[in-house]
Amino acid sequence: MLRKIKEKLFLLGITIATVLTILPLFHIILSVILNGLPVLLERGLAFLTDTVAPPGDGLGGIGPAIVGTFVLTFLASLMGLPIAILTGIFSAEYPNSLIGRATKTLLMIMMEFPTILVGLFVMDIMVIPMGRYSAVAGALALAIVMMPYVAVYTEQALREIPRIYREGAFALGLSRAIVVFRILMGMARKGILTGVLIGIAKVAGETAPLLFTAGGSYRVYFAGLDRPIGAIPLLIYDLVQQPYENYHQIAWGASLVLMLIFLAIFLPIRLSIKEVKM
Amino acid sequence: MKDRFKIFLLPVSSIVFGIFLLMLTVFLIASLPIFEKEGLSIYTTNVWKAVEGGEEFYGVLSAIYGSVYTSVVALIIALPLSIGFAVFVIDYVPAKFKEILIILTDIMAGLPTILYGIWGAFVLVPILRDYVMKPLYDHLSFVPLFSYPPTTGYSYLSAGVLLAIMVTPFASAIIREAYRMIPRVYREGVYALGLTRYEATKVLVGYIKPAIVAGTLLAFGRAVGETVAVSLVVGNTFNIHPSLFAPGYTISSLIANQFGNAFIYRYMPSALFASGLALFVIGLIVNVLGLMVLRRWRYA
Repeated sequence: MLRKIKEKLFLLGITIATVLTILPLFHIILSVILNGLPVLLERGLAFLTDTVAPPGDGLGGIGPAIVGTFVLTFLASLMGLPIAILTGIFSAEYPNSLIGRATKTLLMIMMEFPTILVGLFVMDIMVIPMGRYSAVAGALALAIVMMPYVAVYTEQALREIPRIYREGAFALGLSRAIVVFRILMGMARKGILTGVLIGIAKVAGETAPLLFTAGGSYRVYFAGLDRPIGAIPLLIYDLVQQPYENYHQIAWGASLVLMLIFLAIFLPIRLSIKEVKM
Repeated sequence: MKDRFKIFLLPVSSIVFGIFLLMLTVFLIASLPIFEKEGLSIYTTNVWKAVEGGEEFYGVLSAIYGSVYTSVVALIIALPLSIGFAVFVIDYVPAKFKEILIILTDIMAGLPTILYGIWGAFVLVPILRDYVMKPLYDHLSFVPLFSYPPTTGYSYLSAGVLLAIMVTPFASAIIREAYRMIPRVYREGVYALGLTRYEATKVLVGYIKPAIVAGTLLAFGRAVGETVAVSLVVGNTFNIHPSLFAPGYTISSLIANQFGNAFIYRYMPSALFASGLALFVIGLIVNVLGLMVLRRWRYA
């Protein structure tokens, strides 16, 4: 009898745990839509192109922040992807060498590294010497955050290729560089592309690394690589802390935009593969 | 034969090492002035005396306390949820819904943290304040945990609950993977003994204990490093209070909050770098331990 009661309680318990785990996601999505959609509907496309309204007066738009997010993500990819992919190749090609193993471990550690510290680091080496916040500083911080994800995915994609292809290619007398770049990279392209997109989805939503590097800019569109730049997550963070009601509304609208961008990148990747790491 | 390919790749992949070492060096050097001035008092006192051109003194104990407090609260909530979720998804969900549930938690793990932040500040905090904190304070305020009047709702509890929501999918993914890998014979074995599902699960969960430990450590590392979501709900006050309902600081929210205007003071940047260094070390230890436990268990 007692066993049966325990059994029932157990099933009830894990059902409740599952519901509690998932429920917040729906609540968040619903809250963002309910609060953000009216803002988007009221302003229409102008919300995506206008600049932020003055405190307490209307909504304006988040154009500069959207441009900023795209510029920062693009620059970060430019800086981070080549290094990340080559690092991934290195740890896949030399898994048994000391450096290869150490690289793998370091990448795993850097994936879990607090991103605020990356921001602080870039502030110290770049923002202070340059004397101002800038798009390049923000992009560098994002590139450092992005690299470990892309490298780990690249490594896994290359490791999954059956040995026989590699041996076949070597048997043709091709050099190692040709084997890797011409043959293995081609076969692993889906896995590598997944890593690249995961990295992009990750940094497009990051706030902490940008706090003391990008500086934020919501009235001026792109002003130059060495000038402060905005980003959607940074804008939301700044506006939430303001006491003005209209700023909170803009923040919700921006959250909806950010959520849609994230889902547009993330969902197709997730639906096309079995497992993701973020 | 000399491996030219390796020689070509080596400098590129050493960039990652370079960045990591440079980061550690920068944090050490930038922290030096405050260590020279105060010694370890920066970590052992709770003082924040920022005076322009006058006598400054900084002690970030309240932030260290807050980081540990909020992360522990988060794990106390997240651990049962993530184990329960993992067991439910692997053993009891029809195949159709299994994939959907896993996709949903993957979305949660990747969702930009600022979205948790805005939801936490505007939605979660009022709910917790009105339906959890106020009733508990009204009836049980003699218990130290509930002894702080919840006027705003921004508190350790709010931060802990928000962090729990954020790290549960992450911890659960590690536990789920381990639980799925349990050899079939073990599963069949425990049921062959005539155990009920509860008893069988208890045995099987015991078998993956190392993965649970690893998941806990890595989730702690995530919670401790999370910045923007926490800083929007934790209250940002220099405070060391036992009550869950009290506002406080965490290391990362302290940095996020104070660093913007730190440079008008002589020692504040250094004090903040020193607190960053503490976070650096805590994060490194926890994550390395977590990865080690996970790896050893996988290859055992």
